[in-house]
Amino acid sequence: MGGSFVARRLGQAAITIVAIILINFVLFRLMPGSPERVILRGTPNVTPERIEALRERWGLNDPVFPDQLVAYITSTLTGDLGYSFIARGQTVVDVLAQRIWPTILLFGLGEMVAIALGLALGAYSGWRRGGPIDYLGNSVSLILYSTPYFLLGMGFLLVFASSIKWLPTFGMLTAGRVYGSPFEFLADLGAHLVLPLATVSLGLVGQYAIVMRSSIIETLSEDYVNTARAMGLSEGRILRHHALPNALLPTVTLIAINLGYVIAGAITVEVVFNWPGLGTLTVQALTARDYPVLQGVFLLLSVAVVLANLVADLVYGVLDPRVRT
Amino acid sequence: MRSPIRTRAARVLVALGLVLTAVLPVARLATASNHLILKTGTDQDLQVLNPFSSILVVDFEIFTLNYDLLLNFGQDLEPAPGFADSWSASDDGLTWTFHIRDGMKWSDGTPATSADALYTYQLVIDATAKSDASEDGYYLGAGYLEGYLTNAGIKSVSAPDASTLVVETEFANTLLLNAYVPILPRHIWESHTLDEIGSAEGSTPFLNEPPVVGTGPYQATEWQPGDHITFTRNPNYWGKQGAADQVVVQTFQAMDTAVQALKSGEIDYVRGIQPDQFTALQGDPNIQVVEGISNGFSEIAFNTYNRGPIEGGGASTTALQDPKFRDALAWAIDQQKLVDVTLGGFGEPGTTIVPPFHTRWHSPPDNPRSFDIAEANRRLDAAGYPRDASGNRLDKEGKVITLRVTWPDSEAEHATDAQFIKEWWSELGVGVDAFVTEEGKLLDDLLPPEGGGLANFDIELWGWVGDPDPTSLLNVLRGEEIGSFSDSFYDNPRYDELFLLQRAESDEATRFAQIKEMQNLTYDEAPYIILYYDAELHAYRTDRFGGWTNQPSDGGTPLFGYGSIGYTHLTDLSAVPAPTQEPGATAGPSAAPGGPDGGSTGSDSTPLILGIAALVVVIAGGLLVMRRRSATAASEEE
Amino acid sequence: MVGLAILTFFAILAAIPEVLVGPLQTAVTSIGPRLSPPIDGFPLGTDELGRDIVNLTVHGARISMTIGLLATVVTVAIGVLVGIVSGFVGGRIDAVLMRITDFFLVIPTFVLALILTPIIRDVVGSATTEVFGIRMTLIVIVVVIGITSWSSTARIIRSQTLSIKERAFVDRARVVGAGPGYIMRVHILPNVINLIVANAVLVFAGAVLTETTLSFVGLGDPFQPSWGQLLEAARSVGAPGLGAWWYFVPPGLGIILVVFAFTLFGSALDDLLNPRRGGRR
Repeated sequence: MGGSFVARRLGQAAITIVAIILINFVLFRLMPGSPERVILRGTPNVTPERIEALRERWGLNDPVFPDQLVAYITSTLTGDLGYSFIARGQTVVDVLAQRIWPTILLFGLGEMVAIALGLALGAYSGWRRGGPIDYLGNSVSLILYSTPYFLLGMGFLLVFASSIKWLPTFGMLTAGRVYGSPFEFLADLGAHLVLPLATVSLGLVGQYAIVMRSSIIETLSEDYVNTARAMGLSEGRILRHHALPNALLPTVTLIAINLGYVIAGAITVEVVFNWPGLGTLTVQALTARDYPVLQGVFLLLSVAVVLANLVADLVYGVLDPRVRT
Repeated sequence: MRSPIRTRAARVLVALGLVLTAVLPVARLATASNHLILKTGTDQDLQVLNPFSSILVVDFEIFTLNYDLLLNFGQDLEPAPGFADSWSASDDGLTWTFHIRDGMKWSDGTPATSADALYTYQLVIDATAKSDASEDGYYLGAGYLEGYLTNAGIKSVSAPDASTLVVETEFANTLLLNAYVPILPRHIWESHTLDEIGSAEGSTPFLNEPPVVGTGPYQATEWQPGDHITFTRNPNYWGKQGAADQVVVQTFQAMDTAVQALKSGEIDYVRGIQPDQFTALQGDPNIQVVEGISNGFSEIAFNTYNRGPIEGGGASTTALQDPKFRDALAWAIDQQKLVDVTLGGFGEPGTTIVPPFHTRWHSPPDNPRSFDIAEANRRLDAAGYPRDASGNRLDKEGKVITLRVTWPDSEAEHATDAQFIKEWWSELGVGVDAFVTEEGKLLDDLLPPEGGGLANFDIELWGWVGDPDPTSLLNVLRGEEIGSFSDSFYDNPRYDELFLLQRAESDEATRFAQIKEMQNLTYDEAPYIILYYDAELHAYRTDRFGGWTNQPSDGGTPLFGYGSIGYTHLTDLSAVPAPTQEPGATAGPSAAPGGPDGGSTGSDSTPLILGIAALVVVIAGGLLVMRRRSATAASEEE
Repeated sequence: MVGLAILTFFAILAAIPEVLVGPLQTAVTSIGPRLSPPIDGFPLGTDELGRDIVNLTVHGARISMTIGLLATVVTVAIGVLVGIVSGFVGGRIDAVLMRITDFFLVIPTFVLALILTPIIRDVVGSATTEVFGIRMTLIVIVVVIGITSWSSTARIIRSQTLSIKERAFVDRARVVGAGPGYIMRVHILPNVINLIVANAVLVFAGAVLTETTLSFVGLGDPFQPSWGQLLEAARSVGAPGLGAWWYFVPPGLGIILVVFAFTLFGSALDDLLNPRRGGRR
């Protein structure tokens, strides 16, 4: 793989990240209530003198450009994202670190299940094109696509947790529960995962199914497939060895592109299920107007998506030599 | 080709992994010991373990579990033994002597003595001194706790011996007995500077992370900020132990989920439920609802700033400075209607600034108003606010009066109140421009020039929550507080005078008369129109714990009150089950009565590591599948 | 087609709500019992303020769809502008514009929208002026959705512009001496209209979904409840747990149906109008 290819992609990723930091800086200056007031939120009896002292300390009296800008960029790059308002005393980095794993767990698994299910469904639909399953699958996919994730989640919660009481109604683990063994822990985690995972997967599955389906249809009408058929290869084999790999390529890029869109749904699913991840953090920060945390989440998610795209590009480059120009 | 089988195997592995995690709740291993956990739910954020950073009700609740106050609040909010078990005042009332309980230990075994109380109070004294000395002002954390001692006129504190604490005050008063300040362990806290304890900018804040050391009945042992806090029984607690071995306080994003969890038995107690949920829960045989009378109120606050025009801000009309104008408008407010619609009937119509919760201090106004639009119109005419040709009222400068009414986005129910206010006042010819303002910005807008702001508002709808003593509520209308806590800028010298008098008054009858006069002054002049005293709606299960005791007994709630009494009075209703559980017990989300859970306290990182391991396995499985398929595709192309 | 039928139904609801159910009920004008299930006179029950859910849902249709429409206009306007200019002018400008477009494709625009909305609301100030009958608080959402969603439209339009650019009549126009602005307006634009329409329909669906989600996390306006705002209100009152299905099912169904219809219609239009897809039925 060409070194310049990698270098170029890395360079683009870096520029994007700097641009994101820039946006954050502009937002910081635009926050409702002057930045000083926002920093001092919740503190009574703030005298004008105290505000002036704060401005000095935070360099808010320095010229915005380049002094403040440079200071902001350097502090961000060295991992100083400021202090959270709602988590009084904690840094934004700490707050983000506390919430990141639950989100990775839920969405990592969700994507996986969605991909597996989606590819399977899409393949079947494409293969038996026009059949009742195809039609049904399409409609269901479309309806799922049109349903806001949180609505789906609320529905599941009502049916499976509140009414039938099979599953817990909130959280990632039973708080305060002590586990006799890793087995028990996984069981508890699993029980809490089922509904949110189902919601996330169902929300995502449609897109993978659609991609897979069109890819199958396209592949199955290609010449070489006809040749293969003529040569006596079974449909199943054709499916597995030709259609699937061709469908996987767009799927890879789809995952990366999707991340940006998925996040809206991700946030609301976490809120509905009280899942202690970045989603609930975002909404809590939004409600409390905790801008440092909001910007931290924005930066973190942006970087994640940029990296995911980078990885996808590189992987794509490995899988499809035509791209590596 | 060897791949299909391997591919299938990999696929099966992944599927199995997923299925296992989903289906396993059914198999629960029996464990040895009994472990009773009380779970409470709130919609407030759990971000604070350092008491000085407390702002929310839940923050206060947390530190009263961890720590004792010098004197705790008793069953009916009377001063009761806490860190100190007896107290007395000198004849002139300026010196208080507290006897610190003998043989008391911190939860980590270190002896708890007067040195700890001295240390804690000295922190506040030092912070106050620093504040007085500097131009900037200086506050510990959120700055809510110092007031309890400064309002009591604390001057100095000393500890002549390990069991005695002596406090000197500037003036005689009994407020010291209500000081809502937790006594902190000196041996843990003294290694931190005042700046760190107060989370001052430029220092590393002391978060007081678990395990917390305190003398209260339960200490925080696990903390997932923003999600939940787990408390474990203090083995060295001096008082009566509650039935729960552990207490978990859980945050919910919506009351809907909390109530669903209460109904399913996953939690035992919920604070702050909605009126309709309250009504619906009344029918549930296993749930008890409790309507606590609120120690606080919601109000219409007028911008009465009268120290001159404010460049670029200020009220939109001088009419707001006229008590007669405000009084007339108050005749056009139907508090009962608001209680019925906004609160669903759960609350009391508002009258004076001292809520009826304070049974000893509340007095109804001497000149009560009623909802009477005609009367309001009459009063507006008499006060010199004529109508123009289109029916709009004009102020003394001849300008049409249109009032901006706003409220913070954190208090969504005021949107409903605003609709009514707009409708009622339109019948008076007073226009209303109603909109919500983002809370941080509103806090900004409320500041007058004395506080570095522009007081750019006419009317705001908000509320205050009080303490067992009414002083903190009376404080907000003090002229002294213009520039900090006052959001109405009411400036009445007589009111301020009375404030200082009542604060130092030890004769109850005299104090009552003083507070009564303050209530009447502010009722008649109406810098605030009190809308209602909203009730605290709580609910709890009655099938696991018993002994629920309201604090105060009359109109209080068992938990989220003023101390840990609610927790220590709880009894275990369930019989202790046999150590082995029936095999194949159906997957219920939480304990069957007294459900056995594990034994020792688990550490925090193991679950994470295991979770990550599971994730890695699944990812590996998935990658394996994809890789195989690509490999076969590649080999096929040859 | 099913999609079109559903669309027409909701379009009518959205266009003339007052004729159908009267003005939007408020806490003051409501007359129903509190949170009541469907009964005589209230076919879909009432909310916690006693307002008729039918009334709220029909008005919600207008609000949700107007916001969707306005947001789509902004999104498509920006997207088309960037796409055509970028595709036609090419070179440096194209490179820069594409970098910006890719940037917006990559970042989590929803989080950006979350941050921008309160900030812009603050700048905009008091919320009583109305645009097309929508309060400023919600216009802010329109603008924010527009700012954050234009990039996929831009890409699509750009690709199409690139291919049109090579066509003969464009060259002829250049030879004759027509300026770039003229060519873009007169020659390119009409040839991408088909694509714009197909794309706009899909953008509309996305805009409605985004506005719904933004309202759900608390950025809606209780004085002008969109369907998303109604869902949020239902949840905060505890309707799901109380079994008050009439509160959240109508707005929920409305959202699903409208987005479904638009997406169906949009992909059908895409098949029909997209020049590149021609001949692949």
